[in-house]
Amino acid sequence: MDFFEPRISADTAPFWEGCRAHELRFQRCKHCGKVRWPAGYLCPDCLSEESEPVVLPPEGTIYSYVVMHKPFHPSLADKVPYVVAAVDLAEGVRILANLLDWDGEDLRCGMPVTIDWQDSETYSRPIVKRKGE
Amino acid sequence: MSFDHLKDRFAIVGVGYTPQGKIPGRTAVSFHTEAVRNALADAGIGKEELDALFLYRHFDAIAGDYDVTAFTVAEQLGVRPSVIGQETYCTRGWLFNSIGLLASGLCRYVAVSYGDNARSGRRSFVKELAGGKATDDLAAFGDLSTMAKYAMQARRAMDTYGTGPEVWKEISIAQRQWACLNTRAAMYGKPLDDEGYYASALVAEPLRLLDATPNSDGGRAIILTTVERAKALGRPYAVLRGFGSANQPVSPLRISVEDEDAAAKRASRAAFAMAGITHADVDACELYDCFTYTVEATLRDYGFFRPQEVRDFLRRERLGPGGDLPVNTSGGMLSEAYFMGLTPVAEAVMQLTGRCGDRQLGVLAGTKAPSIIVCSDNGAVFQSHITLVLERGG
Ligand SMILES: [Zn+2]
Repeated sequence: MDFFEPRISADTAPFWEGCRAHELRFQRCKHCGKVRWPAGYLCPDCLSEESEPVVLPPEGTIYSYVVMHKPFHPSLADKVPYVVAAVDLAEGVRILANLLDWDGEDLRCGMPVTIDWQDSETYSRPIVKRKGE
Repeated sequence: MSFDHLKDRFAIVGVGYTPQGKIPGRTAVSFHTEAVRNALADAGIGKEELDALFLYRHFDAIAGDYDVTAFTVAEQLGVRPSVIGQETYCTRGWLFNSIGLLASGLCRYVAVSYGDNARSGRRSFVKELAGGKATDDLAAFGDLSTMAKYAMQARRAMDTYGTGPEVWKEISIAQRQWACLNTRAAMYGKPLDDEGYYASALVAEPLRLLDATPNSDGGRAIILTTVERAKALGRPYAVLRGFGSANQPVSPLRISVEDEDAAAKRASRAAFAMAGITHADVDACELYDCFTYTVEATLRDYGFFRPQEVRDFLRRERLGPGGDLPVNTSGGMLSEAYFMGLTPVAEAVMQLTGRCGDRQLGVLAGTKAPSIIVCSDNGAVFQSHITLVLERGG
């Protein structure tokens, strides 16, 4: 199930390239060691521009989630209801991810989950699965 | 940092209304100009005395209309203020900007205005798409609409503190009761019960259509000045006994219900400290209520109840007419009309100056005349916040 191709900026490109390689790729500040997301030119903690890629493990916990019932675009009419989840990864990073083949009935905030990938023609995006699946 | 030297020095001396609800055939600018003109008249000052004009942010112009700019509004009012400005992306800077200009003596009177033809123009609040293409990376996950962002926070509060639709229904119904006492309100004459609330369609679960503020046509404006000038004008006014402004400028995705640095917590602590009041001193709250959950989050972050007590505290008997903590006595954005922070601020001034008709606190059975009303203005998704402690003046 695809939504919309993301608009990718010079800052966010490394994250989306990581997704294509099925990796959770972020920037780690070389100066203070903090991992940052959203992506940015500077480290918001120490303002250094020196960073290196870091790959976080494909696991996290559900911070929260929404079940979208209203199709806010005509192309979503046959996709609702669908789930948008916010997932806390390691290092204080929180990302969005969808559920695939899981209606989310038993989803709860704080639930541990595994990150997997959904490929479409031009991009890949993270999805959440029950832990261990 | 203490701002105590700014306590009791500034006032809101004018409130401007316009026709509101569904008013087809009007431009957004026309609602700004009408609201400012009426606010000037309410304050009893001439337009040449206005030396600062701030507009709330505008959304994309609706088909057949032009963009709203501060230049256009000033032009059509025939004024040349030394400062004109317009906020962007729902930042809330108007209060500190106004205070700074008044405290320094750079300006004498400041107008703050909002207007839109959102209802006739069927405004959409989906900014993640333009022409069917993503404007950033949120649409890649189907994360569309401001409502989805608030719903994410509401769900977290459900699983963490035990809130839920049973609580939001109480907020919705209490505000509808207030609206039924306000002939200006969109929902005047349209009472709501439990069944009606639950019949409302889920949009971004856990939030329903009735948890969201509907679009309105119309405008609203206020005039701020110093207390000395307010006294000289010789009309009733509201004094800024305390105020605070804070931002939590992180992506909505990263906003956390549990955040001790939440903008509403910081702004309200500053405002209560400056005013020298406790919660027991508050006679009513007029709160920015883009969603029912926003009312809950604001009262919680302001410390009116402990998070786990949400179900016991937020009941229509407390918030509605005759309750011990009246909230959003005009019906609020949910049931009166959406004019950003000026919906709650205007109502607070009207209550404190005794101009609220059937819903007037102190006149309505089981209520007391208000001396202190707490107001909130909230921008974006809990990212920008203003708290005002207003007191009856004059
Ligand atoms: Zn750093």
